[in-house]
Amino acid sequence: MALRVNPDLIDELELFGAKDVAKCYQCGNCSAACSHSDDPYVFPRKSMRYLQMGLEKPLRSALDPWLCYYCGKCSDQCPRGAEPGETMMGVRRWLTAQYDFTGLSRMLYRSWSSELTAVLGVALLTGAGFSIFGFFFGGGNLSVYDGPGAFLPAHAIHVFDWTMGAILGLLLLINCLRMWHFTMRNEHSVPVPASMYLHFLPLLPLHFFTQKRFRHCENKTPWANHLALVLSYLTMLVLIMVFLKYMQAGPQINWYVHVFGYLSAVGLVATSIFAIRGRLKRDAAYHRHSHESDWMFLGLLLFVTVTGILQHILHRAGLPMAANIIYIVHLMGVVPMLGLEVPFSKWSHLAYRPLAIYFSQLQQAAQAEKTTNLVTLQPRA
Amino acid sequence: MKSELKVTSGARGKNPDPAMGRIGVYFLHSGEDASAAKDLQNLADYASQLPGVSMVRTLAASTGLDPEALALVFRQAGLSAVVLASEHPGFFKPAFSRALALAGGNGDQVHLASFGERGDATSPDRTKAVLAAAVQGIPFTLPPEPAPGTFFNTATMVIGGGVAGIQASLEIAESGHKVYLVERTGTIGGRMAMFDKTFPTLDCAACILTPKMVAVGQNKNIELLVLSEVQEVTGSLGAFNVKVLKHATRVDASACVACGDCARFCPVTVASEFDMGIATRKGIFIPFPQAVPNAYMIDPAYCTWVQSGGKKCGACAKKCSKDAVHLDAKDEVVSLEVGNIIVATGYDTLDATRLPRYGYGTYPNVLTSLEFERLTNASGPTGGKIVMKTKRQNKKTKADEWVFEPDGPKPKAVAIIHCVGSRDRNYNPYCSRVCCMYSLKFAHLVREKLPEAKCYEYYIDMRAFGKGYEEFHERIREEGVSLVRGRTATVKEIDSQLYIHGEDVIAEHLINVPVDMVILSVGLQPSHGSAELAEKLHVPMDSDGWFRELNYNSEPNSTGRDGIYVAGVCQGPKDIPDTVAQASAAAAEALRSIVGSRNKEDRNTVPQDAWEQTTVSPQRS
Repeated sequence: MALRVNPDLIDELELFGAKDVAKCYQCGNCSAACSHSDDPYVFPRKSMRYLQMGLEKPLRSALDPWLCYYCGKCSDQCPRGAEPGETMMGVRRWLTAQYDFTGLSRMLYRSWSSELTAVLGVALLTGAGFSIFGFFFGGGNLSVYDGPGAFLPAHAIHVFDWTMGAILGLLLLINCLRMWHFTMRNEHSVPVPASMYLHFLPLLPLHFFTQKRFRHCENKTPWANHLALVLSYLTMLVLIMVFLKYMQAGPQINWYVHVFGYLSAVGLVATSIFAIRGRLKRDAAYHRHSHESDWMFLGLLLFVTVTGILQHILHRAGLPMAANIIYIVHLMGVVPMLGLEVPFSKWSHLAYRPLAIYFSQLQQAAQAEKTTNLVTLQPRA
Repeated sequence: MKSELKVTSGARGKNPDPAMGRIGVYFLHSGEDASAAKDLQNLADYASQLPGVSMVRTLAASTGLDPEALALVFRQAGLSAVVLASEHPGFFKPAFSRALALAGGNGDQVHLASFGERGDATSPDRTKAVLAAAVQGIPFTLPPEPAPGTFFNTATMVIGGGVAGIQASLEIAESGHKVYLVERTGTIGGRMAMFDKTFPTLDCAACILTPKMVAVGQNKNIELLVLSEVQEVTGSLGAFNVKVLKHATRVDASACVACGDCARFCPVTVASEFDMGIATRKGIFIPFPQAVPNAYMIDPAYCTWVQSGGKKCGACAKKCSKDAVHLDAKDEVVSLEVGNIIVATGYDTLDATRLPRYGYGTYPNVLTSLEFERLTNASGPTGGKIVMKTKRQNKKTKADEWVFEPDGPKPKAVAIIHCVGSRDRNYNPYCSRVCCMYSLKFAHLVREKLPEAKCYEYYIDMRAFGKGYEEFHERIREEGVSLVRGRTATVKEIDSQLYIHGEDVIAEHLINVPVDMVILSVGLQPSHGSAELAEKLHVPMDSDGWFRELNYNSEPNSTGRDGIYVAGVCQGPKDIPDTVAQASAAAAEALRSIVGSRNKEDRNTVPQDAWEQTTVSPQRS
């Protein structure tokens, strides 16, 4: 089997935030220090090796980077300061770009200016679009927030968000299929029977909702923070996609719905501020380096949450016009955040991580079955 | 920069020669003496006239120079070379080299104009010549001029009595010159005396070292000062004055016959420093049986008589049949005149408790390399048997403790972890150079003494760099030792079984190997007190705390000061052959200055006929 070497791979990865890979002298301390690393998925040293050697194809078919949760223990113990944890982070960004068939992801990750332009462009389009819609097709009156004649009526927003959800879901699905192709259909992977795919399927929701694997890291705080973020976000997503009508109705507070809204809002604000504070203080290895995409993600998340809360307060305070304006501003954050981040950037890991766990277990099970078959086939002495 | 006093303009009336680059001259001064400041102003004016000099500055010298702030000045001035001018500028060279390198220049282009060593207090012209030579970057070749009426002292002080100090002392003493050998512990011999075997020849270390130690003890030209520390150094080449604090041993070494009666009756038992704490000694003790001077001494920190102010105990003094014990002896400070000083202060090993993930200090059978060295040594607590520690109850404190006993259980698997705290930016960034080879030696000893035991070496890179070392490496490999590439991440104890957890980098899989004993190959670092000694001597140290040589390639023994030389590991990690070679080289440099000096003064050496009597080889006697 011929191995093609890409000598520029290490430079390419530096644009994705991989740090100081060349310093690594392959001692293997990082792999052994990691609580997730286990045969046959031994990382991060192996990924460091692929990078140093320019082995693009093995790196693209690796599941290892998704099995790492970046607790930073490897970077803390690294004798060379080669930052293996940040390298894994960079490889995850690179993989996201590899899985993405549009090429948009690669462009956004590699260039801060194009990311900024894209976000601002989508935001302005969104703002203009919803303003036009509100004045000409919606209620037409900026001072009506809810009920009949609302500037942005809930049923219309539902049509929009379900359409957007479908498009983004489709894009993400195509990228996931590409991930499956790269990681499960290469020359080293073991063929997995369909029944096995079905048998292991419950792993996907399990890991998606519990972030169970993350808890294996020695430091539990990042796991708790991440789980709170995931659950808060999912709650808010369900509320908006299904219960927007009840959310929007006012001025009284509908506690059956709003209690969930308040809880998740608190969760989103707290977790994003926690992460921003950590990245500013750089007190832990996993917060020491920040790629532009990390700031964009956190900034948008906080922006969207705060504007969401603000429109809620303004509406209850009897200021429907201000509430409507903030609503549009809020949507100007939501659409680029979801539209760009979910299929093309950091948010895509919501799909890739559970998939990687699922795929890795499938591979191991298939390998085990293959080995047992071989053993039974052996003639008896 | 706040320490800057004033700036004089540079290169007046002369065009700097572009071929010479742009040179900055820094005058370092203490900033206190007014008349010195006037002289300095004259010199600064002179320096600014020299070709190539583009900047002249005076700087109040302090130990805390900030290379980055200096680099900023260098970069703005576009300097390609820097001259440091003062009495003893060498101490500040590292900061300026680093600054020049930071500013994008060549860190080697820092030249010293050392008035204290090369100049002459009575001759301003000579001082200017020293400065001009430094600006030109050429050596000032005239020999140092002693002040009128002073003599070049032919005695030499050697600081540190390890194998380097012993070798240098013997070289000088056997050429007929006086040596003061100052040693901090109670015996000479240093680290090498603790070793069992030397690599790669597997010679017995004591068989090489003890004859040399005895030769030191018998040489009438060597005055041995044990339990002694250098307190203060003044003067310069040919006329150093050194104050040495001599701690009282409280035993008259000339009367003591090392019979050991005193220790038998001493009620105090403490951990033995010589045995790295894996064996015990008494409050009155001899570090090891072959110690030189071969006499007992009292540890005042634990002695009941000393601690009670003379009210209790005193058994040793009563039992000594030679009346050698003088419990009330006092520490004294002696002032010694010498012409040269050789620094051979050696090393300490890294404190393994700094790496809690290897479990040293928590798990009883995790040892450091020097502990294993004592364990496998025939003079160690088990008579050289490699055994595991056994649990025993302390009779006094009733607490459980883990000790080595000769009939303890034998380990079935031994792991040796390389690079503990070495090549690691979190600890020591440098390679300690000897660990790979001594680890291979340990593996050989394990396989030799316990043929059934498995032995694993976990290494990052195998550095077998010396003559015969690669062959030794191959030999150990053939002896059935498992050499595994991959740094161990953790040592864990599960159900009283130690496990090595790491990655086998070649096989690309994680390993979890059960072992009974773990040896940590801890790295070398400068011995404690090196920084204080460097300050007393006014000699530079490098960023890792080793004594800095003047030039790594051409002057590896010289410090920034004439008359002060370095030998052995205190200059940087090295093995025994290199240490001995460097010690002889340092002795040769000291002898060159002694033999070549004018106005020699030799008050100390023993007459030639007496000297000849003392050089009888110990093997023949």
